[in-house]
This record gives sequence, C-alpha cells and structure tokens, in this order.
Amino acid sequence: MSDLQKLYDAILNGDAKTAVAVTKEALAEGADPLEIVTKHMVPAMDEVGQRFECEEYFVPELLLAARAMKGSLELIRPLLVERGAEPAGRVAIGTVKGDLHDIGKNLVASMLEGGGFEVIDLGADVPPEKFVEAIKQRGANLVCLSALLTVTMPAMRTTIEAIRAAGVRDQVKVLIGGAPVTKRYADEIGADGYGESATSAVALARQLVSEGVAR
Amino acid sequence: MTSRERVLAALAHGEPDRIPIDLGGTSVTGIHASVVAALRDYYGLEERLVKVHEPYQMLGLVEEDLQDAMGLDVQGVFPRKTMFGFPNENWKTWRMPDGLEVLVSEKFVTSVEANGDILIYPEGDRSAPPSGRMPNDGYFFDTIVRQEAIDEERLDPSDNLEEFGPITDEDLEHLRRGVTRVRGTGLAVIASFGGTAFGDIALVPAPFLKHPKGIRDVAEWYCSTRSRRDYIHRIFSTQCEYALANLERIYGAIGNAVDVVFVCGTDFGTQTSSFCSAATFRELYFPYYKQVNDWIHRHTGWRTFKHSCGSVERFIPAFIEAGFDILNPVQCSAAGMGAEHLKGSFGDRLVFWGGGVDTQKVLPFGTPDEVRAQVLERCQNFAAGGGFVFNSIHNIQARTPVANVSAMIEAVHEFSARRAGVVHV
Repeated sequence: MSDLQKLYDAILNGDAKTAVAVTKEALAEGADPLEIVTKHMVPAMDEVGQRFECEEYFVPELLLAARAMKGSLELIRPLLVERGAEPAGRVAIGTVKGDLHDIGKNLVASMLEGGGFEVIDLGADVPPEKFVEAIKQRGANLVCLSALLTVTMPAMRTTIEAIRAAGVRDQVKVLIGGAPVTKRYADEIGADGYGESATSAVALARQLVSEGVAR
Repeated sequence: MTSRERVLAALAHGEPDRIPIDLGGTSVTGIHASVVAALRDYYGLEERLVKVHEPYQMLGLVEEDLQDAMGLDVQGVFPRKTMFGFPNENWKTWRMPDGLEVLVSEKFVTSVEANGDILIYPEGDRSAPPSGRMPNDGYFFDTIVRQEAIDEERLDPSDNLEEFGPITDEDLEHLRRGVTRVRGTGLAVIASFGGTAFGDIALVPAPFLKHPKGIRDVAEWYCSTRSRRDYIHRIFSTQCEYALANLERIYGAIGNAVDVVFVCGTDFGTQTSSFCSAATFRELYFPYYKQVNDWIHRHTGWRTFKHSCGSVERFIPAFIEAGFDILNPVQCSAAGMGAEHLKGSFGDRLVFWGGGVDTQKVLPFGTPDEVRAQVLERCQNFAAGGGFVFNSIHNIQARTPVANVSAMIEAVHEFSARRAGVVHV
C-alpha cells in the first residue's frame, strides 16, 4: 500500500506534484477516499494552520499547502460525491459587492476546504442576491463575507439584510472578516461571527457546525 | 521655522517648533480626490476641480492653497508616469461614479462594462487589455491580473524586468523640473523616483504595462518567494543594478534639492502577522535594500523612506540596519505596533512618518471628538525628542467625513500649540 504519510508531508511542504502522485497511487490501490481526506488531508491542513498561527508559516507557505491539498482533492472529490459523503458544512464565500480584493477570501476558502467543508466560491464583488441564491439553491449553511476597504464594509450589512429579507437568515450562520473588520462590527451588523485570520475562520466554522447549527 | 526646517529638525531627531505634517506628499500619504474636494469647500478655497494625480487610488492633488489652509509642510515630487503607465498631462474632466467631477490626464482612458464597472487601459491604449477595474459605484481602481500560463521550464527573470531599466532622459528631465518647481516653496521635498521597491505586490501585476510577462499573479508571486527563490533573486539583483545606476544619474540632475526619497512601498505586514519571517526578509530583501540605502547615504544628503503596512515590528531592526531612516505608515492597530512601544524601542534610530490616526476605523467611522482624542494621544506618544512627521495611517479614504479630517488637523496644531506654551493645558 502507498504511504499516505507522504501525502501529509507533501501538503505540509506545499509539494503539489507529490501530493497528486501519492493520491493517485493510493486511490489506484483501493484506499478509501473519505479516509484519505479525514485521516491525512484534514490533519495536514490543520497542522499548516497551527504553523501559521504560531508564525512558523506565512502566506506563501499557506498558499503552497492549499495548492497541494487542492490538487489531491480534485482527484478525490468526484468519488466522495459518488458515494454521497456529506461535507463538514457547505460554505458560500465571497468578497462583498464593490470589493475586488480576494487574497484573504481565497486563503479562507482554501483553509475551509482543507478543513473538510464544501466551498461554494462566489468570487469577488458579489452582490447580495448571489449569496441568497447559494443558500436557496445550493444549500449553503454557512456564509463567509470578506471586505478589505472601509468603503465596502457597509455591503456586509446590506448582504445580511438581503439574506434576512429573503427569509433564509435562520438557515445560515454568517461569518465576516477582512482588514478593517472587527468583532464589534460583526455584532453591530448582526453577523454570527468574526474571523481574525484564515485559521480562526475555520475554527469558528467548525464550532458553529458542532453546535448543530443550520445543518 | 520654515516648513522645510521643521521637517529637517524632526528628521534629525530634534524637536521642531511644531509637529510637521504631510498630507499628499506621496502615493501612500495622500487624500482621496473626493475628500480633497470636500476639504477645499470646507476651507472656503477657490472653486476648482481636483486633479487626480494618482489614478489607481484616485488620490487628489493637494495644491498650495489647501496646503496653506491646513498648515502642511511637505511637498511631493512624483514620477512622470502613473500606475497605469501614462503621464499626467493635458487634463480633462471626468465624472466619478458618485457624481463628483474631477480632472484626469488625457490618457485616462476608460470603458464601462454592462454591469457598470469601469475599466482603465495601460498607457491609455484601448487596443491593449484593460489593467484596472473600478466596480460600479466604486471609489478606487483595482488591478486586473493578466497572467499568462506559466511554463516552469521557460520561466525567464527578464520577463519580470520589463519595467526596469535605465531612466530615460524624459523621465529625468521631469524629475529635475519637478524638484526645481517645488524647491522654492519653502516646504520639505519628498520624491518618488520609482525602481527601488523590491517585490512591491501592488506593482507586480504591472498595471502600467500593456502586455506583462513573467509572474504577475499576486498569489503566484507570493508562492514564488518561497518556491522559486532563485528566480526572485535574479529579478531583484538586476533591478538593483539598474536602480543604483539610475540613482547616480538622478543625483547628478537634482543634487540635494530633495530632502527625502520614497525608496520602497513593499508591504511586509498584515493586520495580525506578516507576509514572511524575519529570516526570509534578511535573506531575500535585505541585501538589495542595503545596497540602495548605502548608495544614497554615501553619495547624497537624502533621507530614506520605507513604507510597509501592517505588523512589521519584527522587521524594524533589519529596516534600520538596511539603512532606512523613516518608517511609514506606522499602523499602530496592527499586532505589536503600539505607539508607545515603537517610540520607546526604536524612536532614537527611526523617524515615524505616520501613525497619527487610524484610517480603518477612527477617521472614517469615529466622531470628531474620537478623532481628536486619538490624534492628541498619538502626538503625545510620538513627538517627544523629534523623529515624528504627522500623517494619517496611509491615505485618507473616500467617504471619510470632512469634519473628521479637519478635527485631525486641528488636533495636531492644538497639540503643537500646547507644547509651545501658547495654550496652557
């Protein structure tokens, strides 16, 4: 059997080539796809998150690890869908209307994906109705909003208002983040949580899911 | 004291008669055009359209009458070409999405997409792909990344060097004229020559080039600083050779008529951490900054200005060792960047040009009283012993209430007056 410790190491080292090769080999040998994710990939991304938190890893290392993880996940995802495996949660994520800055959002999306969540990445400059659509039609139970600019922060409030007006606010939890955003602002606009970093967003998302919220 | 004497005293770590103020001297210490317009109204200045001299962030030119009204001390000299690769000449009117009419360069060429987004073109050339986008109802442009597929085997550092090379006679003459024009104003002069920022992520996508090649995607660049370090070193090393040769020519043209040089705007900090470790900074960036700063200090009287947003406390000792005299914007809200801590730890060796008020929360969203309180506190933290030029933390953003900006300026003058004993506390 292929050594899946190598997959863990490849993700940790941001080595996409090896991550993909090991995953292919493991799948060909009949390894359980869900186990590859839960026992090797998620722990690897958790370790990446830990190293980021303690400032052993920085943005480049996070990006490289996420690429390795994604390369591997692309091979596994169709198999998981085939068997109807449920993700840890279904997240609709995007930068709010008027905001084109998506580096932070992309990092959070990758970390959530690495944490076992299904990520519906709506991209940048996303109007409120797109989030509503993702909740109604694609079953998102978590919404993550990102803003870098002080002038686009108010779009977080209008997005939450649109979700409420569409009658689906109780189906989702809303997490917000971005350079000028604070916990106080999250409380002010009626968000359910504020993530200071990509890793804290994952912890928060897990916490909300474990509380049995909106699944 | 004249404004220039005031700034020079502060730079020499002496206490000037009052705290010197910069607003508008660089592309990171400026004011959004809409706020410049509001300030002109507030101070009752002659009605005239604001010139957008930096179209990427839509910064408005702070002209002499507004400098006088606000009591500013620093005048900027900017490179001939803007972030979108065109010179500011032959001004024309343009209406911003919020309805404000401003003046822009004739080469400020845009188109509007079906969703209302505004696209802008490099060098004003509509036959090239657009390089900037302002969202419908937006206030700033953001870069459109134009990244060709990367073939690892064919990556060539020279592709990332298209924007670097010997300074042209035209650019040199522009700088010479600019410096000559402002030298007589009595204000301190800060000049941005360009070419000395290594790996500035705002410049990597090259919105000024028509068809950028090499590594131009932001995430790809960050990954490359780790995974293709030799490639990055080769870019920096050639860029540095050009920079040193250009500095020599520039100095030959303007001599010591410039007081401060904006050397580098590469951001190393985030809100809570940094983009790389201190060890990476030492290995990848430090050698080039040291060469540039050493050349400047050996040959000129210029002071060197380093801009980096975010939490950069871990890098400050290396910044100082690399020869940077001035740190900006001094983002006190970021991790480890408390005003008292910075002043106490580095204030005798580094000039803080910024730190005056938070532009993410207090200035745009606070009350004038909250602005005043923070400005007075920051002046208290930073002013003792000189080494402080007041500036908001980065550019004043669109939609910032003019009452808050005026409260900020009044508070700096109030603090200076108190210290001078004009007003007793």
